Amino acid sequence: MKRFLGVVVFSLSLLLFGCSADTTKEDREGVVVATTGQIADAIKAISGGHLQVSALMGPGVDPHLYKATQSDLSKLDKAEVIFYNGLHLEGQMLDIFEQMSKSKSVLAVGETLNKSDLLASDDDAMLHDPHIWFDIELWKGVVQAIGTKLQEEYPEFKDDFVANEKEYLKQLDELQVYAKNRVNEIPEKQRILVTAHDAFNYFGRSQGFDVRGLQGLSTDSEYGVKDVQEMVNFLVANKIKAIFIESSVSDKAMKAVIEGAKEKGHDIVIGGELFSDAMGAEGTKEGTYIGMYQHNIDTIVDALK
Amino acid sequence: MYALTVENLSVAYDKKTVLENASVSVPTGHLSAIIGPNGAGKSTFLKAILNQLPNKVGRVEILGKVFEPKSLVVGYVPQRNAVDWDFPTNALDIVLMGRYGHTGLFRRPSKKDKILAQQALASVGMEDFADRSIGQLSGGQQQRVFLARALAQNADIYFLDEPFAGVDAATEKTIIDILKDLKAQGKSIFVVHHDLQTVKDYFDYTILLNKTILASGATEEVFTPAQLQKTYGGKLFMMQNV
Amino acid sequence: MLSGNLLWVLSGTMLLGIAAGITGTFSFLQKQSLVGDAAAHAALPGIALAFLLTGQKELPILMLGAGITSALSVYCIQWIVSFSKLKADAAIGLVLTVFFGIGVVFLTVVNRSPLGNQSGLNNFIFGKAATMTKADLMWLFISATIIILVSLLLYKEWKLLIFDPVYAKGIGLPIEALKATLTVLIVMTIVTGIQAVGVILMSALLIIPAASAKLWTKKLSSMLVLSAIIGGVSGITGTFISAMRTGLSTGPIIVLVAAAIFFLSYFISPSGQISKFRRKMQFRKQGELG
Repeated sequence: MKRFLGVVVFSLSLLLFGCSADTTKEDREGVVVATTGQIADAIKAISGGHLQVSALMGPGVDPHLYKATQSDLSKLDKAEVIFYNGLHLEGQMLDIFEQMSKSKSVLAVGETLNKSDLLASDDDAMLHDPHIWFDIELWKGVVQAIGTKLQEEYPEFKDDFVANEKEYLKQLDELQVYAKNRVNEIPEKQRILVTAHDAFNYFGRSQGFDVRGLQGLSTDSEYGVKDVQEMVNFLVANKIKAIFIESSVSDKAMKAVIEGAKEKGHDIVIGGELFSDAMGAEGTKEGTYIGMYQHNIDTIVDALK
Repeated sequence: MYALTVENLSVAYDKKTVLENASVSVPTGHLSAIIGPNGAGKSTFLKAILNQLPNKVGRVEILGKVFEPKSLVVGYVPQRNAVDWDFPTNALDIVLMGRYGHTGLFRRPSKKDKILAQQALASVGMEDFADRSIGQLSGGQQQRVFLARALAQNADIYFLDEPFAGVDAATEKTIIDILKDLKAQGKSIFVVHHDLQTVKDYFDYTILLNKTILASGATEEVFTPAQLQKTYGGKLFMMQNV
Repeated sequence: MLSGNLLWVLSGTMLLGIAAGITGTFSFLQKQSLVGDAAAHAALPGIALAFLLTGQKELPILMLGAGITSALSVYCIQWIVSFSKLKADAAIGLVLTVFFGIGVVFLTVVNRSPLGNQSGLNNFIFGKAATMTKADLMWLFISATIIILVSLLLYKEWKLLIFDPVYAKGIGLPIEALKATLTVLIVMTIVTGIQAVGVILMSALLIIPAASAKLWTKKLSSMLVLSAIIGGVSGITGTFISAMRTGLSTGPIIVLVAAAIFFLSYFISPSGQISKFRRKMQFRKQGELG
């Protein structure tokens, strides 16, 4: 009996090991999974329909707090290549990426960038601000890193990828010009951007804004009465016209801040909803990186000018 | 008029029959003992009569009327251990609770209520303990406070569940004197009692209970070795002394 | 300095402390403090469900959902104890974990939906007192007022009900209605309080002030007042402390202040350890002299 069981267990484990072996590059179907919508958008733009691209985190989802479910894990498991932002954006998923990297290609796009180009974190000297997609120049670097990886993984489509990437980078340049022109409509003194969490530091640096968030770099950072008070005082002192809520973060704090400022005799409005960590609904313009960025620019400029 | 009329009272818990077809009729003005061995269903009988148990079958009339919980004519003195004496309150407060039925919902007890409560406390010899927190009372004192509470109700009929259990001799004397006094006033009293030695001295009426009513009547007629044998079965040892 | 947001949070947490102190005293004496814990945790699925079904994140709707599941959990515990062989502690543990687990699952669904994160439902787990506004304050004020009024009205009935429910039933008090009213008040406290301290810490506010007050007095009326005061003071002090630095969450600090008060009471109150120790020493001395 023991012997029989031993044989069964041995055969089963062989089967299991066999199943998890890498498929060779020839039997691939082109299944690629990204974490954020921004990354997926770049992959889709470059791959131009050759690959099946999906994002784990949809519109309105907060990547700082996101915990993968069983269905996410099986999605990641079926993927041939995984792209994630890195720099601790997907704070609750680091173990999973480490695990996945043992059996498939995993790329942390943010970590391909030059560290000297990144902004440091206020809270932790070892960490960097992960919201790199708001600096178009930095994001171009990310797009190029994605392009390189895709060419590596799917060399059969290399020509298309190269062409698509060139086109996408051109669009990003156009986006930057658009942004610059629009931002110039705001008087310099009014270029202060106040949001729910510190997601826009790169935006501020690259577009010329002073940026302040109520919460820190991650939405799981704690904040209390003093943070709210300091924000209110800042708004009143700088006579700020509008502050912004985010699509993936609770707006209660911003509303409390507005009421607090009103109490001190200073009227502020909600300038609009910005996409900070997530993009808009799929199929809409805001569901693409360029559309999302444009929406943010337009919302900010229209409210502050 | 009958103080208590019970017809075919049956109570079952978890498919076990605790009381079966108990019937008895007791005229008013008696001080009655309810006796029987442990587990005979004495406390259950009491609770069933007082409508404390939902799963009972049979007819119960107290002072000629089917018992409604709102009836203020029934004074109930439960077992002492049914309650947490660590509760933050004093003796007078407990006795005052006996007046709540009269005071009415939402209202504060009146001055008259407070005076009646103090009198009740005095009648059990506890007037000096009015402000004492109940956690500091001895067993006998607690029992007296419970009795005072029922007295404050000014009821016409009283049901007491083992009032002499674990109580000192002085307290026992105080209590039985009060009960005899109530009887003299024409009230009816029913006591679940455990001490066979004192039945003849205390009670003029006896009810023998063991899963059903085996006998009831004047103590001298019913409290006999033969009846006791039937009630207690092999559980009775000191027959000679009785 | 003392204007706007800070003032709202101070008032709100003070009112919550008072309400929790009062209702907590009654549930403490009934030996049902842990039921309050279960009820608080059980508010979570109600909040998530309210949002999922209506798509609204307005406070009244969320509070309604919270109230329903919270009250439901209390009755579930009673039913389990009545109709099964389980005792209260097992029933409470069961209901608490099941309801809370369901709540977490619902919350996961909420967080994956486009409007979910913006709804701020996650803040109900640990509370977000810092974002209290005048509207939140109003709910707390109404709650606290109702609780105080009803407690005054039903003071003697509840006193008897908790001390001796059998006797209470015997003299004709409407036991079920009285118990239900108390449950409603406790649920009301929980539902208005969880936005400040969250479902997990809410039970602390129901238990700690009452337990501390009991160490100081042997009269119910004093215990109620003292418990309300301790609750209110914990709220105010906790808020002040959390307002001293950035990045400090108010809810947990309020609970810590309450716990500190209990700790102190445990030692220095008349029924506390230091007094006990003194009395023991006195007895010993008398023994030696005598």
